[in-house]
Amino acid sequence: MKEFLQGAWLKHPLHPALVHIPVSVWPAALVFDLLAYTGNGGNTAVRVAFYAILMGLVVALAAVPTGIADWWDIKQDRLAWTLGVFHMVLNLTASAVWALNLGLRAGAALNLSRPPLIPLLLSIIGTLLVLISGYLGGRMVFNYGISVGRNSKQKWREIAQAGHANLPPAK
Amino acid sequence: MIKAFLQGKPFGYPLHPAVIHFPIGLFFLTVLLDVANLLIDTGNVLAQSAFYTVSFGLIAALIAILLGLVDWSDIRADHPAKYTATIHMILNLTATALFGISWWLRSVELGKPTATAPLLAVLLAIAGMGIIFYSGYLGGSMVYDDGLAVGRHRRRTDTPDHTIHASSKDSPDGFARIAPVDALRSEETLHAEVDGHVMTIAKLNGELYAFQEFCTHRFGPLSEGQFQDHNIMCPWHGSCFDVRTGKVTQGPAKVDLKTYEVKLESGQIFVRVITK
Repeated sequence: MKEFLQGAWLKHPLHPALVHIPVSVWPAALVFDLLAYTGNGGNTAVRVAFYAILMGLVVALAAVPTGIADWWDIKQDRLAWTLGVFHMVLNLTASAVWALNLGLRAGAALNLSRPPLIPLLLSIIGTLLVLISGYLGGRMVFNYGISVGRNSKQKWREIAQAGHANLPPAK
Repeated sequence: MIKAFLQGKPFGYPLHPAVIHFPIGLFFLTVLLDVANLLIDTGNVLAQSAFYTVSFGLIAALIAILLGLVDWSDIRADHPAKYTATIHMILNLTATALFGISWWLRSVELGKPTATAPLLAVLLAIAGMGIIFYSGYLGGSMVYDDGLAVGRHRRRTDTPDHTIHASSKDSPDGFARIAPVDALRSEETLHAEVDGHVMTIAKLNGELYAFQEFCTHRFGPLSEGQFQDHNIMCPWHGSCFDVRTGKVTQGPAKVDLKTYEVKLESGQIFVRVITK
């Protein structure tokens, strides 16, 4: 189960692939909100923002279990583990903010030509949260190497072996 | 300086993998809106929406292309991931071109108040998205399988741009000539292969050191690592090794590095691979 969520079957970690969607379409929703709010795009922009939030939310829900599976494997004494906790709390908060935001937009609000103030504010807060959290997630990969080399151990072991390197014992 | 900025070094984070979220998400949303528009008759509101998302997706894609080219140019030509990176680039340029044509077809058509997106524009977007999914998978492999850009921001000097191949075959004392010592400044590294041994040659505080290229944890590239005192730190998971002895000074690695004898003679670096 954990291996499935970590993307072993795809030979690619699942969590970083899924998060492309919420990380991009939620800030995009804010852009469309701001366009509509300043009188550009009218109801079309209001609707695009709604679709973007909806799409982001659906994928974000799928990203939660995959993220927990990746975090599960990090040793607790590593800084990346703590970073992972912050990342998780921020993401869950962001998802809740966007869910509330979506709820406020459904129904009659969908026919407006500019977003009401509260949903607009929620978009700003939600965007900040997801961007900060995304940055932390990126740091986990690019600074701490989380999920790096997990599916390619064998490939690189062979390359290192061909280069006469000392190797760790094979498992 | 500009290259370091475009690679995201000041942010401690590579920029290309951050920016590409936006074309992927916005192009995907475009396709979903297009398909919804074909399935549900809602006038042209979905088509208008898709035009918004494809427009912003294209802007983001152009930024991502620039950043990607900078990252691509920095991959050593004989690195196993260079080929993947080249395919990734060609596919992404193709997909962006398809979305570009799709955008243009829409922009012509959507000027008319009741118009919807032309079918060809929708098909081009779907094809472009298919390419992006595959290409994105390759991009992910480069990070998660080959560790490209992982830990790169910690490196203070340029990484080796080629592999030096050398042999001790014609040498009386077993030392193989590598390169002029001027080729290496402090905290710089060379990536070399001597009689099949792949190694990092480093200059640190005026001394030369040679040790195996691959970290003993998950085999990350030490020639792209960062120096801390007498240690080399693996860019991937931060294992540290003493460059003088090859001993592990910080995990997760547990096995010491193989080290090689280096000498400096008439301005040239020589390395000896002792084979038992």
